Amino acid sequence: MTNYLLRRVGQAIAVVIGLLIVTFIMIHMIPGSAARSVLGVRATSGRIAIFNSTYGLNEPLYRQFLTYVDQVVHGNFGTSYQLQQPVSTLIAQRVPKDVVLVGISTVVALVIALPMGIYQAVRRDRPDDNLLTGVSFTLYSMPTFFFGLLLIAIFSVQLHIFPPEAPSATSLGGILADPRALVLPVLTLALVTLASFSRYMRSSAIEVLAQDYIRVARAKGLSRRLVLSRHVLRNSALPVVTLVGLSFPNIIAGAVISEEIYNYPGMGLLMYQASTSHDFPILLGCTLIIGVATVVGSLAADITYAILDPRVRYGRA
Amino acid sequence: MRTLRRLAIATVSLALATTVAACSGTGSGSAIGNGNGTGAPKGQKEQGGTVTMAWIAAAPNFIFPLAPATNTDGYNVNLTQPMWPYLVYNGDGGASAINPQESLYSSMVWSNGDKKITITLKPWKWSDGTPITSRDFTFVYNLLKVNYQNWVSYLPGQFPTDVTSVSAPNASTVVINLNHSYNPDFYEEDVLGFVPLLPQHAWDKTSMNGKVGNYDETAAGAKAVYAFLQKEGGDMTTFTTNPLWKVTDGPWTLSSFNTNGDYSYVPNKNYSGPDKPTLSQWVNTAFTTDTAALDAIRAGGSVDVGNLPLNDIQQASVLKSEGYSIASQPLPGVAAITPNLYNAQVGPMLRQLYVRQAMEYLINRQQIVAKVYQGYADPGNGPVPVQAFSQWASPLEKSGGPYPYDPAKAVSLLKAHGWKVVPGGTTTCQSPGTGASDCGAGITAGEALSFQLLYSSGQATMDEQEAAIQSSEAQAGIKIALKSEPFNTVVGQYGVCTASSHPASGCSWQLVDVGYDPYNLYPSGSSLFNTGGFNNNGGYSNPEEDSLINATEYGSSSQVFFQYEDYTAEQLPWLWLPLESNVWVYKSNLAGFAPLNPVSGGLNPEVWYYTK
Repeated sequence: MTNYLLRRVGQAIAVVIGLLIVTFIMIHMIPGSAARSVLGVRATSGRIAIFNSTYGLNEPLYRQFLTYVDQVVHGNFGTSYQLQQPVSTLIAQRVPKDVVLVGISTVVALVIALPMGIYQAVRRDRPDDNLLTGVSFTLYSMPTFFFGLLLIAIFSVQLHIFPPEAPSATSLGGILADPRALVLPVLTLALVTLASFSRYMRSSAIEVLAQDYIRVARAKGLSRRLVLSRHVLRNSALPVVTLVGLSFPNIIAGAVISEEIYNYPGMGLLMYQASTSHDFPILLGCTLIIGVATVVGSLAADITYAILDPRVRYGRA
Repeated sequence: MRTLRRLAIATVSLALATTVAACSGTGSGSAIGNGNGTGAPKGQKEQGGTVTMAWIAAAPNFIFPLAPATNTDGYNVNLTQPMWPYLVYNGDGGASAINPQESLYSSMVWSNGDKKITITLKPWKWSDGTPITSRDFTFVYNLLKVNYQNWVSYLPGQFPTDVTSVSAPNASTVVINLNHSYNPDFYEEDVLGFVPLLPQHAWDKTSMNGKVGNYDETAAGAKAVYAFLQKEGGDMTTFTTNPLWKVTDGPWTLSSFNTNGDYSYVPNKNYSGPDKPTLSQWVNTAFTTDTAALDAIRAGGSVDVGNLPLNDIQQASVLKSEGYSIASQPLPGVAAITPNLYNAQVGPMLRQLYVRQAMEYLINRQQIVAKVYQGYADPGNGPVPVQAFSQWASPLEKSGGPYPYDPAKAVSLLKAHGWKVVPGGTTTCQSPGTGASDCGAGITAGEALSFQLLYSSGQATMDEQEAAIQSSEAQAGIKIALKSEPFNTVVGQYGVCTASSHPASGCSWQLVDVGYDPYNLYPSGSSLFNTGGFNNNGGYSNPEEDSLINATEYGSSSQVFFQYEDYTAEQLPWLWLPLESNVWVYKSNLAGFAPLNPVSGGLNPEVWYYTK
């Protein structure tokens, strides 16, 4: 296991370096001038020259890259062209927002989706299964922006139960201190995610329920509750673990649409706005963070697999 | 800076979302006035109260009023102007005019052939009780004289590089000598209208713990002071605590600031101006989109003033029933399609005035105003908006401009110049050559009148407008291929092309529409239409045009402005388009909000108050 982990960490570093190189080159291939794009239509040649000199854009590309790598190694992701703040500061302000929003949504979705999937598998093709399947498909096929606006229209504008805005604080404590404001954004993301998780869980549970070891467990006289909780849940959760692992970057990247609708500027919106405004330092910084999150998420999923399924032992032939 | 502020306002106005949560409500904007006269106070004036104002994607990040050249955040002006207003205060009630009561000077006398200005300052005071003096002006001048290249508002050849000397014969008098004559209207409104006074007695130092001196009087000292103030001005964590920023001369002082774009003010108790704030707090809060802001307004409670996107104009009736008033505000700018006159492929066609005339005849501006902008737009009859700048709009522009919608004239113009017109199809050149009835220089036989129009994406109104243009141009067989990209991407490509760079390979765009170009109080065509102007991206060059623009900036005649305006409207360096207005929603018991001023951006909360 230790060797496996070391090997995976080595691979992860290589992946992140490769990602950085590819992203750096691709970003600089975006048509148009970053200085013009940032300074606007009335930029003078003098201001463009100052901009390029300030941000080193008049240097050869390889030198810009080496300078950037040197900065990153020293914990400096550069300064945003548009927002004029250190990228590390911007990321530090935004990540807690997404960790709270996407994190809570994922947990809520899992707490509902896992038992729901098993229940549907047990009640396969019966009216209650069909009803829940219909609900899942409806939620899954509903665009996030529409669902979010629908919730706002009902619960904020008409009923005045929940505010239409997520908490405006930037600290973790500040965000959690306003739970009412979190209800609608969390609900929006959780219900859409729940639909996906529960479908996977249902399929997987159906497969597990047909396995011999389940029959054996039943034959040994284990109660239905114990069979479901000890054997079916654990084994059928494996595909969902993969899903959750792969969705880990989303916790960092956020949910652009929910962020927009609920006035909750997180990492997703930061990246989206940077991508439309030639804000290279933000794009590079965010890509790097998300790249690391992807690798870590994938690694975490593999380790969880090993814990859930003792047959899985990485590194053995 | 005023330009930047208007860019910020434009951001608010033009970032229109396509959907809104609560789709209930009927009616239209027909009951919406332009704000003039709608703000007459009803009820008794109430002291105190808080107004929360919604801004879209606002993120001010710099508090020192002289921002660096690389910082183009227009919201910085929103942040600083309530604390350090400009010497010349633009916008008076509902009029686009200088506000003599709010301006920091009592008189401005021009002499020496309009090369010398003698300014007398009012006996006003800084918030710490120190008098505002001419030394505060020389402080600003000294700082900018050696740092102008790192000042975001510097325009080549203008203040401070056009100044030969500045003197302060006494505490209340400033004398400025210029290196050439200026049109006083232009200089007062467009140049001194974005120069603030800064507190020399508090800011003339090179470190936080250093003593205040006269460092600005040497070049090295001025550089050090400027560098220090700019460094402090970018430290967002100390905006409300730094003692530098507590010395203000505007009606407000900053009381809170959050890096997410939320900030608030309380009244400057020592404000000397005539309009002392009645409100006890003015809160500015940032929203990701105007849809989110409108949802907050509809949900009630958290927002008192915000924008109503034109796509959601049907919400007006519901909002009124919920205790809000609505008023429109014309924007001070010019909306147009810029033709790339030197594009290797289509430049020869676009250089022909008759082609541009035909294209303009085919733009149904009235229909676009009515259908796309629901009536809330300037008709765009020429380079000067008739609604925002009625005093500068010529009779020709006011009467509909030189090219009212007329497809028949467009067709006959093209036929008269050797084109085979195929309505709904593709019009091609039948008679190449340079004769009076030929297509024109550089146009080959069989060449099609076909162009690509690049415009900024993300706004439903822009999509609708460009589609309408595409459709109406087809009536004379002019094919328009539409291509939309994010605003900054368009600007990044479009800006690369200047008159001097033609025909560089980067000039691949053919027609471009980036929304609108904002004007200062004096709607000059300088930089837009003059040869080599830094915003003359299409490469238009015409000695007569240059001469008229120079006369509007440097001449003494005020009549020449109409000549410039009419000539420009007729010559079509750009294809004129309607310019949408800003529509505001505000609490009905908030008096003083309207009439809305086109150039003040709604930022006059010192005259707002609640009624009982």
